[in-house]
Amino acid sequence: MAGALGRPRGARRSGLGWGFYLSAGALVLLSLAPILWVLKMSIVPRAELFASPPPLLPQELTGASYATIFDDPTFVRGLLNSAIIAGSTTIACLVLGAPAAYAFARLRFRFRTAIMTAILALAFFPAAAVIAPLFIEFRAVGLLNTFWAVIITDTVFVLPLTVWILTAFFRQLPRDLEDAARVDGATTLQAFRLVVLPLAAPGVAAAAIIAFIVTWNEFLFANTFLFDSSTWPATVAIPNFATTHTVDYGAQAAAALVITVPIAIVVLAFQRRIVQGLTAGALKG
Amino acid sequence: MSTRPDSAASLGLSWARDRGARGIARLTGGGSRSDERRTAGLMISPPVVLIVAVAFFPVAYSWYMSLHDSSVTGVGEWVGFDNYAELFEDPDFTRALLNTTVFTAVSVALELTFGLAIALGLNQAFRGRALVRTSVLLPWAFPVVVSALMWRLMLQDDVGVVAYLVNSLELADAPILSQQSSLLIAAIGVDVWKTTPFMALLLLAGLQTLPRDVVEAAMVDGAGPVRRLFSVTLPLLKPTILVALLFRTLEAWGVYDLFWVMTDRQLDSLSTYTYEGVRISQLEFATGTAAAVFTFFAALAIALVFIRLLGTRTAEE
Amino acid sequence: MSPVETEQPSTSTGTRRTNRREFLVVSGGSLAAVSLWGLSACGDDDDGGTGEVLMNFSPDLKQIVPGQVDAYNNQHPDGEVSTRTTPADTTEAFDQFRTQFQGGGSDIDVIMGDIIWPPQFAANGWIASLDDRFTESDREAFIPGVVEGNTYEDSVYGVPWFTDAGYLYMRSDLLEDAGYSEPPATWDELMEMARKIQQDAGIPNGFVFTGAQYEGGTVLGIEFIRTHGGDVLDGDTVIVDSPEAIAGLTTQQTLVADGIAPDAVANYEEDQASGAFLRGDSVFMRMWPYAYDFLGDKELSNLDVDQVELAPLPVAEGIEPVNVGGGFNFFLNAEAADPDAAYSFIEYMTAAEQQKTMALEGGYLPTRTELYDDEEIIEAVPGVRLGREIVPTTTTPPVSPYYSDMSLAMSEAYNANILGSMSPEEAAATIAEDLQTIIEKGG
Repeated sequence: MAGALGRPRGARRSGLGWGFYLSAGALVLLSLAPILWVLKMSIVPRAELFASPPPLLPQELTGASYATIFDDPTFVRGLLNSAIIAGSTTIACLVLGAPAAYAFARLRFRFRTAIMTAILALAFFPAAAVIAPLFIEFRAVGLLNTFWAVIITDTVFVLPLTVWILTAFFRQLPRDLEDAARVDGATTLQAFRLVVLPLAAPGVAAAAIIAFIVTWNEFLFANTFLFDSSTWPATVAIPNFATTHTVDYGAQAAAALVITVPIAIVVLAFQRRIVQGLTAGALKG
Repeated sequence: MSTRPDSAASLGLSWARDRGARGIARLTGGGSRSDERRTAGLMISPPVVLIVAVAFFPVAYSWYMSLHDSSVTGVGEWVGFDNYAELFEDPDFTRALLNTTVFTAVSVALELTFGLAIALGLNQAFRGRALVRTSVLLPWAFPVVVSALMWRLMLQDDVGVVAYLVNSLELADAPILSQQSSLLIAAIGVDVWKTTPFMALLLLAGLQTLPRDVVEAAMVDGAGPVRRLFSVTLPLLKPTILVALLFRTLEAWGVYDLFWVMTDRQLDSLSTYTYEGVRISQLEFATGTAAAVFTFFAALAIALVFIRLLGTRTAEE
Repeated sequence: MSPVETEQPSTSTGTRRTNRREFLVVSGGSLAAVSLWGLSACGDDDDGGTGEVLMNFSPDLKQIVPGQVDAYNNQHPDGEVSTRTTPADTTEAFDQFRTQFQGGGSDIDVIMGDIIWPPQFAANGWIASLDDRFTESDREAFIPGVVEGNTYEDSVYGVPWFTDAGYLYMRSDLLEDAGYSEPPATWDELMEMARKIQQDAGIPNGFVFTGAQYEGGTVLGIEFIRTHGGDVLDGDTVIVDSPEAIAGLTTQQTLVADGIAPDAVANYEEDQASGAFLRGDSVFMRMWPYAYDFLGDKELSNLDVDQVELAPLPVAEGIEPVNVGGGFNFFLNAEAADPDAAYSFIEYMTAAEQQKTMALEGGYLPTRTELYDDEEIIEAVPGVRLGREIVPTTTTPPVSPYYSDMSLAMSEAYNANILGSMSPEEAAATIAEDLQTIIEKGG
């Protein structure tokens, strides 16, 4: 079999020629170019932002935009608020989503497909139209202007994705260990808790990171349900780097980068985990 | 109280006890162990209850309102499907529907193609892979609201870098932000830039679960990389592709922030039309609600189609 | 033979109960943890009790307003005025208020808002009539046009705070070089001047304005119509389908078609239009007075103060000067817990002294006519010095509870007019039809 193994490997390696690396380079450039442009927007003075034709390289540097955003207590507090909201939503999604995903993946029960479809579809109702009735609902239970309103809504809209990722993940796990546990007398719940969950780290990590990112960037619900600027997450604080007639594009660019940097770091640190989590997990092969 | 459960009587007894179990176990049919069914019920109910409480009410209420001459202050009288008739006669709506359909179809198709290419590329080890993976994921991490504003500035005639490039290459004869067609193209472009990473991620995950033996067997058989791709890899990847498509299509169908902020309300999608009717206008509330319900049912239909396609696969497992 | 313990889980009631308990403990614990987090992050409960007043303002006022509020609180120790920030974009702020009112009510007692809000709020009973508090004699101190804008169905609902007006910015240096000593009085003159200077001095644009499809675009469209002697609404009668209005729309379209205004003006909001002018790329601009402050600041503009002059907008032959403005006003929440305290705060904020501070420190145009004769203000605020004739000629957008719908319809038509996809006649006819439908539907 050595010959059979040797040939395919060689064939694979030769495919990664300069064409591949060229495309990879172009891809990196295309992905990063706009972000680099936003970076440039955040470090040049306003006059240059409106210069025509737009200069490619910064002609004059200024830290004014960053000073503006960090001087603004609403924005700084907003970063903390974003973390609280995103963190809570992520936890809620995992706590609610993991058991459900396990049930969808492993257990048989009536209406399974119907319930899955309903969960998926309900979350894709146009958010813009749901705002007013949701507003009424939250006001009735006194949750307006609290994080709860946003956390609950975000959870409901992010759950489907979480459930799907975890369902796919659980489905990939080989049944051996669970079956063994069952034979030993464990209930389904015990099997889930004692056998499956410990192995679920990669899947949970992936679902958690994705839920966090989506919620971190959420704007519409936070904008509608939170009135006090002290409760605003960073995404809502950004458009207020503006006056009635003008927009401080430099500050907004700086704010956008500041918001994205933590996410970028998380993604960079966990990228292998993310991919791993979306796949079979430790027992593969 | 027999301690030897394998006697027929005691089996019958425990079976009867299981059948008598209350609550969620009623949901399940006969067959599997009752413990499994009840546990399933317990595990499913929290998220289901939450979704029903939070999402079901507004949806149902919107449906109810769309059948009446409703306004921001009250429900009004029953008008049946009049609002829907009015909806389809509104040229703004048909244009929004067209824009949304084109946007969804084209961006999802492009994202799938590019995403697949990227996933295939990232599936192999090569120097600098981590760099490529990170930089490809960054656009996705940018909040839409702000990135739409930045993109608008980049597309502005005179001061925008993208407009400058486009004009230098003589690709457009009118300001990008002035024409519906170029706005749509720009929106698709920005969406592809932003969301392809997510597609690539999902597809990459799928690629990494492919049974190695089948792929290797194909290689041993002497199939070239292209044939391998189409006859082996893609068919095996079908469930992943379908789910990724499902999510992306539904998300694209509900596009709102991108159109609203980047085109400054000049380009209408189903959701921006709904928003205008339900939140800004005073008089178009009823038609706005009808639009929302229409969008929802269309999304549901799309979801059903994909799930049907997926369901055949699930049954095989 | 020892008794065999039942280990099979499916037949043991005891084990099932444990499972359920376990599950509830785990999920209950998580929910408790999350709720602790949520509770600790509750927003402030700002419901006013007796004497407590809540007002809102937009971020650009944060240098001035808090100071004034503090001063008021010091003078009135028994009442507490607290503030909240609302979105900078006026349509967004309006959205927020509307959602709150629709949802049951807003807790803000003193509402600071745009001139187009009163009819929409008043028609729904959300703000209180100020007829008794803001008396006839009080009103006389303010600019008539703005007071009228705050009036709906013969009741006044708002007290004017500061105003905005449409000015013509001119490159006086370029005009001088070209031999013009007077600002253009008519649109024809402006077009002629612009063409000449564009050609001779090589300036890309002759005239820039905000033509994007948004509230600013609506204002400009109405302004073009009014400077030609026409109007959009007269009470409940649609009068936009008139030769004067069509003339106004024709001017708007000609400016673009003839290259005096750039094609891109159809996407211009304030930043883009003022950006073009301050860059030096336009001879004339229609803009609010705020942009004047940018002159001379290297970071914000390429032009200096001595290169730019302000003038009234040109009009068609024989028409009186007019412009369309907005401005911000105070409204009283109909459900305010302590309306007396709220109104006394409104009185304070709109008093001459406070308006003067706004003018001197922020360049905001006062709404009290007497302040336009104040030496200090004339010195410090270019908009006042150069535009003393302009502000009194300011008119406001049509007063209607359905203004949102009207603005949507109008901005679309005006934008099509600029792009040339509709002729001025078609645009006028479309607006007339749309407005008529809106009025009929509104009943």
